[in-house]
Amino acid sequence: MLVASVVILIVMLLGSVGALFAFSWAATHHQFENLEEAAESIFDADEPIGTPTDTYITHES
Amino acid sequence: MNPKIAPAADPEAVEKSRLQRLEIDRAARWPVGIFIGSSLVWLILGSVLAIAASIKLHDPAFLAENAWLTFGRVRPAHLNIVAYGWLSTAGIGIGLWILSRLCRAPIRDNRSLTLAAVLWNMGNAVGTWGILRGDSTAVEWLEYPTYAAPFLLVSFAFVMLESVGLIRRRPPGHIYISQWYIMAAFFWFPSLYFTAHGLLVLAPVQAPAQPPINWWFAHNALGLWFTPIGLGAAYYLIPKIIGRPIHSYYLSIIGFWSLAFFYAWNGMHHLIGGPFPAWLITASVVASVMMFIPVITVAINHHFTMVGHFKKTIYSPTLRFVVFGAMCYTLASFQGSTMAIRPLNSITHFTHYTIAHAHLGAYGFATMVFFGSIYYIMPRLLEREWPSRFLIRVHFWSCAVGFIGYFVFLSWGGVLQGLEMNKDTTPFLEIVANTMPYLKLRTVSGSLMTLGHLAFVTSFCWMVIRHRASSGEPTLFTNRVPDPDPIP
Repeated sequence: MLVASVVILIVMLLGSVGALFAFSWAATHHQFENLEEAAESIFDADEPIGTPTDTYITHES
Repeated sequence: MNPKIAPAADPEAVEKSRLQRLEIDRAARWPVGIFIGSSLVWLILGSVLAIAASIKLHDPAFLAENAWLTFGRVRPAHLNIVAYGWLSTAGIGIGLWILSRLCRAPIRDNRSLTLAAVLWNMGNAVGTWGILRGDSTAVEWLEYPTYAAPFLLVSFAFVMLESVGLIRRRPPGHIYISQWYIMAAFFWFPSLYFTAHGLLVLAPVQAPAQPPINWWFAHNALGLWFTPIGLGAAYYLIPKIIGRPIHSYYLSIIGFWSLAFFYAWNGMHHLIGGPFPAWLITASVVASVMMFIPVITVAINHHFTMVGHFKKTIYSPTLRFVVFGAMCYTLASFQGSTMAIRPLNSITHFTHYTIAHAHLGAYGFATMVFFGSIYYIMPRLLEREWPSRFLIRVHFWSCAVGFIGYFVFLSWGGVLQGLEMNKDTTPFLEIVANTMPYLKLRTVSGSLMTLGHLAFVTSFCWMVIRHRASSGEPTLFTNRVPDPDPIP
């Protein structure tokens, strides 16, 4: 039972501290700013906004 | 000028990003290809076991002579195979590919990931063999015996290492919402699996504490493992395919963090009516209803991103599968929140309604999004198109119609079953007999879904072995290529 309690405690602490750390990291590293830029970050020069990429061939040719 | 918006302005940048994308996809070819390819073997095996289990519910004598094929083994084997063999294996492959793409970093350690794929599949094979030979742990969602766990653990360690490496090698700037979802899932799943396995199988806690741990795990396996991978894929593929950024990045952030902070409380709603502290279950009911927040943010975001582009689902296989999946996500989550409310739960608990709900999440949402993702990923890994639009059509319609039938029949039958069970006048055996037509219809629907899977696997194998040059035509649902939309 002691082992189980220790395991649960460690998982709880690691989980919550990890989540809080990730959240504060995101807040301090500008992840919640310039949201338009974030939304556009999946597009590249060769696959820009406005270019559908639904098939391989149409896109490549 | 932003090169993302005006590509033609700088041909050098266009060529550079094209080559980088090619490099990323080529580096992913083997590890991601093996994860996705092997997941399809489990998909077929899982479907066959599903049909066997389904037939046994209305025809108990079916395959009953062989101990290995009795209901008590076939049913958990189906559950674990589709959860860890199909959804998890495909999910790892899809997650790694999207991470690699979004981090603009090629997968570096091909060999360790290939080893990870082999170990992962060995874990599934050993686990399935264990269940069928009668070694199931009897803990729902964790039936793989202990000797399967080390394979899964070591394999996942390699996957985590590579994903951390990818994130570290990303260029400075934003981490896109899909990267958040997928990275989080890659950390959540092993901590969930191995905590639950340790506390329930390796060194079991006292019996009264076991069900809460069991359902903490089982519900989180859906919400913190399949869901984030599926949402990560949808958040990448929908905007990428239609060529338009998501409607509101702000909402996507709220969705992710509310899922991350509050989802883990949900599992206890499985224990409503059980002998557990009332506060434990009430807190979980509250958390379940709070899930409306992340779900509504995702639903609004996907819907408004798609507005004006829905006609593309007529042509694009990936988009049609992913949009179908995204709609099922909204439905499954809304339904899940309502099912946690006590008066409704008192009808649906212990009925086939729950099974229908589980399939709405795991099949309608996760599986359909994964199908769509594979339709997008494989041509880019192999640098060739899908061989047959006919097979893709068969795949979509068999799975969509089969699944909708499955969901409607079982939900309907489940509610009737629940209402009858709550009346103390109807004999139990009569209630069981009354569910028969719905169970038979489930077998029919499940067979239709399996037909779709067979079409998909045929298509996949044909694509992999075909070495001749492509016809140069895109593989769309119809011959007519869509008119390009004006830039929004």
